[in-house]
Amino acid sequence: MARTLAMFTDTSLCIGCRACQVACKQWNELGLEVPDWTGTYQNHTHFTDKTFRLVRFIEEPKPTGDLAWLLMSDVCKHCAEAGCLDACPTGAIYRTEYGTVNINQDVCNGCRYCVSSCPFGVVSFNETTGTAKKCTFCNDRIHNGLGPACAKACPTDSIQFGFRDDLVTKAQKRVETLKAMGFKDAQLYGADSKGFLGGLNAFFLLLSKPSTYSLPEQPKLPQRNVVVDSLLSVGSAIVIGLGALLAFRDREQGDGNA
Amino acid sequence: MLKTPDWELMIVWYFFLGGIAGGAYFTAAIADNFGTVRDRAVARTGYLLSLPLVGMCGMLLIADLGVPRRFLNMLAAFKFWDPMSIGAWMVGVFGLFTFVSSVLSFTSSEKMAALRRKIGLVGLLFGFFLASYTGVLISNSAMPFWSDARLMGALFLASGASTGMAAVSLLMFVTGATAGEGWGKVKKADRFSMIFELLVLAAFLFMLGSAAKPITTGHFAPLFWGGLVAMGLVIPLVLDLVGHRVRALAPIAAVLVLVGGFILRYVVLMSIQA
Amino acid sequence: MTTNLIDLQHSDVIMATSNMAENHPVGFQWVMKAKERGAKFIHVDPRFTRTSAAADIHVPIRSGTNIAFFGGLINYAIQHNLYFRDYVVHYTNASFLIDPEFKTATDGNGLFTGFDAAKGAYDRTSWKYQLDGEGNPKRDLTLRDPHSVFQLMRRHYSRYTLQMVERVCGIPQAKFEEVAKLYCSNSGREKTGTITYALNLTQHTNGVENIRALCMLQLLLGNIGRPGGGVTALRGHANVQGATDLELLYHELPGYMAQPLRDAHPDLTAYMEKETPKGGFWVNKPKFFVSLLKAFYGDAATKDNEYGYQWLPKRAKADAYSHQHIFVDMYNGAIKGFLALGQNPAVGGPNAKLARSAMQRLDWLVVKDIFLTETAEIWKAPGVDPKTVKTEVFFMPAAPAAEKDGSLTNTMRLIQWHERAVTPPGDVTSDAEFVCTLARRLQALYAGSKKERDRGFLAASFKYGDNPKEPEMVEVLKEINGYATEDITDKDGKVVYKKGQPLNTFAHMTDDGKTAGGCWIYTGVTVEGPDGKLVNKANARKPADDKDYLGHGWGFAWPANRRILYNRAAADLAGKPWSEKKKLIWWDAEAPGNEPSKKGKWVGLDVPDFNPFLAPDAKNGDKPFIMRTDLVGGFFGPLNDGPFPEHYEPIESPVRNLLSKQQNNPVAKIWKVPDQQNELAPTGSAEYPYVITTYRLTEHHLSGVMSRYLPMLAELHHSHFTEISHELADELALKNGDMVTVATPRGKIHVRAMVTNRLKPFVIDGKKVHQIGVPWHWGYNGIAELPGSRGDITNDLSATVGDPNVYIQETKAFMCNVKKGVV
Repeated sequence: MARTLAMFTDTSLCIGCRACQVACKQWNELGLEVPDWTGTYQNHTHFTDKTFRLVRFIEEPKPTGDLAWLLMSDVCKHCAEAGCLDACPTGAIYRTEYGTVNINQDVCNGCRYCVSSCPFGVVSFNETTGTAKKCTFCNDRIHNGLGPACAKACPTDSIQFGFRDDLVTKAQKRVETLKAMGFKDAQLYGADSKGFLGGLNAFFLLLSKPSTYSLPEQPKLPQRNVVVDSLLSVGSAIVIGLGALLAFRDREQGDGNA
Repeated sequence: MLKTPDWELMIVWYFFLGGIAGGAYFTAAIADNFGTVRDRAVARTGYLLSLPLVGMCGMLLIADLGVPRRFLNMLAAFKFWDPMSIGAWMVGVFGLFTFVSSVLSFTSSEKMAALRRKIGLVGLLFGFFLASYTGVLISNSAMPFWSDARLMGALFLASGASTGMAAVSLLMFVTGATAGEGWGKVKKADRFSMIFELLVLAAFLFMLGSAAKPITTGHFAPLFWGGLVAMGLVIPLVLDLVGHRVRALAPIAAVLVLVGGFILRYVVLMSIQA
Repeated sequence: MTTNLIDLQHSDVIMATSNMAENHPVGFQWVMKAKERGAKFIHVDPRFTRTSAAADIHVPIRSGTNIAFFGGLINYAIQHNLYFRDYVVHYTNASFLIDPEFKTATDGNGLFTGFDAAKGAYDRTSWKYQLDGEGNPKRDLTLRDPHSVFQLMRRHYSRYTLQMVERVCGIPQAKFEEVAKLYCSNSGREKTGTITYALNLTQHTNGVENIRALCMLQLLLGNIGRPGGGVTALRGHANVQGATDLELLYHELPGYMAQPLRDAHPDLTAYMEKETPKGGFWVNKPKFFVSLLKAFYGDAATKDNEYGYQWLPKRAKADAYSHQHIFVDMYNGAIKGFLALGQNPAVGGPNAKLARSAMQRLDWLVVKDIFLTETAEIWKAPGVDPKTVKTEVFFMPAAPAAEKDGSLTNTMRLIQWHERAVTPPGDVTSDAEFVCTLARRLQALYAGSKKERDRGFLAASFKYGDNPKEPEMVEVLKEINGYATEDITDKDGKVVYKKGQPLNTFAHMTDDGKTAGGCWIYTGVTVEGPDGKLVNKANARKPADDKDYLGHGWGFAWPANRRILYNRAAADLAGKPWSEKKKLIWWDAEAPGNEPSKKGKWVGLDVPDFNPFLAPDAKNGDKPFIMRTDLVGGFFGPLNDGPFPEHYEPIESPVRNLLSKQQNNPVAKIWKVPDQQNELAPTGSAEYPYVITTYRLTEHHLSGVMSRYLPMLAELHHSHFTEISHELADELALKNGDMVTVATPRGKIHVRAMVTNRLKPFVIDGKKVHQIGVPWHWGYNGIAELPGSRGDITNDLSATVGDPNVYIQETKAFMCNVKKGVV
């Protein structure tokens, strides 16, 4: 396996220009999507089968009462422990040699288990192709020596592309700098490979707690309870089975109205 | 900001019919193996009911795919930790069991019957699986409520049993196969299953706490409390206990159990996706 | 702009008065870099925008009160002694003495000396320096003389107090003081700051004075010509700077030389006499002008025929031909035909309804654009019966940048080449090909004409390269750059330039017809390499690095690849950097001079914007502003509306002017248009009670031609909208998303209300004043599947009024009404 690639999205540098969102749509030829009225600049409201990069506009007042507009470019996290990948029954979702997670469109049969298995609500179903869609980490580009289109288009280096270990070091330094500058809630999200989901290959620097950005505080791998749930089912089966067994072994009439 | 898989009515039906098929089959297999000769009608009814149901299950499952013709892609991979993967395999394997058991349920040869009983003993494991795996499948997702419900599989299994037995009982009533003592035993087993289901449901809600809100409060609450708990479980039990001398009440109770089983799958799936 | 965006990273404080993050996001990376280095970032804007989101302080300001704001800062810097005294004394005209007759607006109740109410113009006789016996301006280096520019300026802005700023601009005193302290204290030897602006300052009836006020503040704080300083003018994408340099304008010729006036400039001699100043670098204007005529007319231009001067079109008067003049003239029937190349005035210009009505009266209209714009389908305008429009419209599909070779000059004067990536499909042609083809076909029609006036046009060559159809764009660039029209030899007879060889520098231009050059400031962009081949420096691609942070190896910045203009000011009088931290160029007394016997040269991190061998102690060696006649930065700098910027209310305003009795700019241009096509709301009108400002969004471009037809861009905003504060929404019982009608005396539009915290009402002189914002990207064409890509035309609301210097429109501050629903 090649060295793991990653995208580091530093929201402290994001200016909400949405060049990433447009570059993504253009490069991946994602097509027209009629937006809903959101009452803000936010469009679309969430990832869809045609929106793989999405800038979030979060208005929240600072403690001083001044308005703050937190801006964040969100994307598929390419989790080291990926719920979608584990859920996929056809093997269409796979991990590339660079550590990214991709959906083979020729294999996906559209069961949508991956959709319900993404802790971030990234994977989306496309009605036209009948398959699941999500950010490919610009698979075609990274296999030809280029970075993802979103990172390329970002004017402020809010989205950085590179080797994961390098980026994590850089990100850690950046958090320290920001903290020294007075951003006391500055924190990394998904950078720690010992943290949740084994670390995210698209990780973030946030200026507020994750939930402010509609991110789960502690995302969990959906498949973590398969064994427990299965054992409890087996227990249930034993009780039911015994009940039925007793009912049928009962030589007396089971019921009075025979 | 999670995304729902849009598993709607087709999957509700699949979950519901899969439960009945599993429940009917293992009821049949238990009756076949542990009951008397006079319980054979139960076994035959159960086997014969499970066969078309599992066929319908397969069709629903395929029809709900984004690319139905790629159904076989499921069989190109086998992931033992993945309920969807195993589930797809098991529907096929279980289908084979129901087919063989159904064919053998017509045999008059005692040798073949013995074979059928042995097959049934193995097949009932797959019946249990089919009735419960759908619960494990959704409880191993990222969806709130579903993923919080550790007893989803257990509950689905109990419901599969109660509805499977109710279906067998109803079918026996309709086909006039109530003569032997089997019908009574099915009803007894069903009663047990329903009581157990109520207990599991209580534990299920207790363990979920506020995570159960999508079904216990709001839009789906009347359906859950009225449709499942009252109409689908408590009333059939009362009917069964109070009116066990009135023959006509039995099929009504069975129908209510079936409706309740459908409502269970409906509220669980739709409350999150609505 | 005087500086370079890369250099913003060295600012200690940056004050954006424009919405830079949204409208110049690529350049904004350097603001983010500066912030990373610890710079403070201030955003002054009526709205809280994506720029404000990145700012340390957001200062909401009522639209149209920028001079009050800058005046307040100037006053603050003077009162608190925060100006850079050494710089101000020596590098500006602060110490110059003005004619004692002259009085500022403080003493003239809003008017400067010389206002002639009958003419609606100033008599500028007293707006001049006192001269000594030798004709040089008198100076008082102590700055104490009451007639000194400094004292006049101090007196002029003494009214611009904290209280006054609060009352006029609606900025609370404490907030203004915080900003003033922060911005003005980053001055002196060790610190610099910069101010960005765009159309937020220009689109006003005092647009030019707005910018002068900004420049004065920068001069006062010693920020011009120094790293991290400068005037950061953010020009439009992608080639507004280039279009200005090459003068796609009504009043100038390429390289910022006046388009001749019929009466003032009857012949070349008169033009040269009147237009060539007595001092500063512009004394070279005859060389640039004759070279330009040679580039136009080639061999036909000779000394005997004034190099073809008489073939140039001449202006009948100064007050004519601007964008706004054209559409009024067109409406009045004076203009019969119109070529709109890459322009969409049906949507994009002020009073767009007037512009559409005007174009619907044309005999013919040619539109060359990349999509079928509203202008291209002028007969489809809402409320118009297509049968009544007799205009014959020709649509010529145009190639966008990726389909053609060429250059773009960006806001930092940086010329960058781009190569054709794909061949244009079908009948699509580049603008250059269209213009050259049209010109050649017109020449064929005029062939044989014996009329003198046609000779120039017939002599002009539209052939670039070997392909008769398609111009070779590098050849066009070479013509702009300039070349020798014949072999040029030095005094020893050695050939310096072969005939046709591109010039290396505009310093080699001559006024004897031996050189030609299409735009003197671009000279040096193409040179001849050692191998005799053309080197296109616009195509140079060596990125900036630690050794050359300004990136001189990337593209070519006019003039002479200088990245920071007036950079002599980065060194003190003796030629030493003001500080180690802020060094840029300095005098190296030991470096070899221009002759073997001499020593000393200006060296450093940029190309000196100065005679590189003029020692600091030589005559004028301490005067950095070489383009000015007096060689110093001008606090006192006569424009049509006054030597110092003075606050006047916008033509439409909610309040009376609190600073003087003079409500509006006394010399502002207000067009009289028939048929009630340009009605104005009176001051404090109850019918139009809300301030409206119009603006752009990151996701869209101008009138939407390059964004409304592209789904990935057009879908990013649901539909046309207006931003409205919660306070106003409550008063009007509006919910977010309701349709509203925005009306002015000129027109009305129906848009969706975006109710937001990002806009707040102002308290102006104790009274609550609401302001709304409306982007102007929408029109009646767009993507069929995306209804939100079409919308009403915001510019139907704005008026045909203009600045008295350049006639730019006032679309940033006027008055409107908002009503719930479509009414």
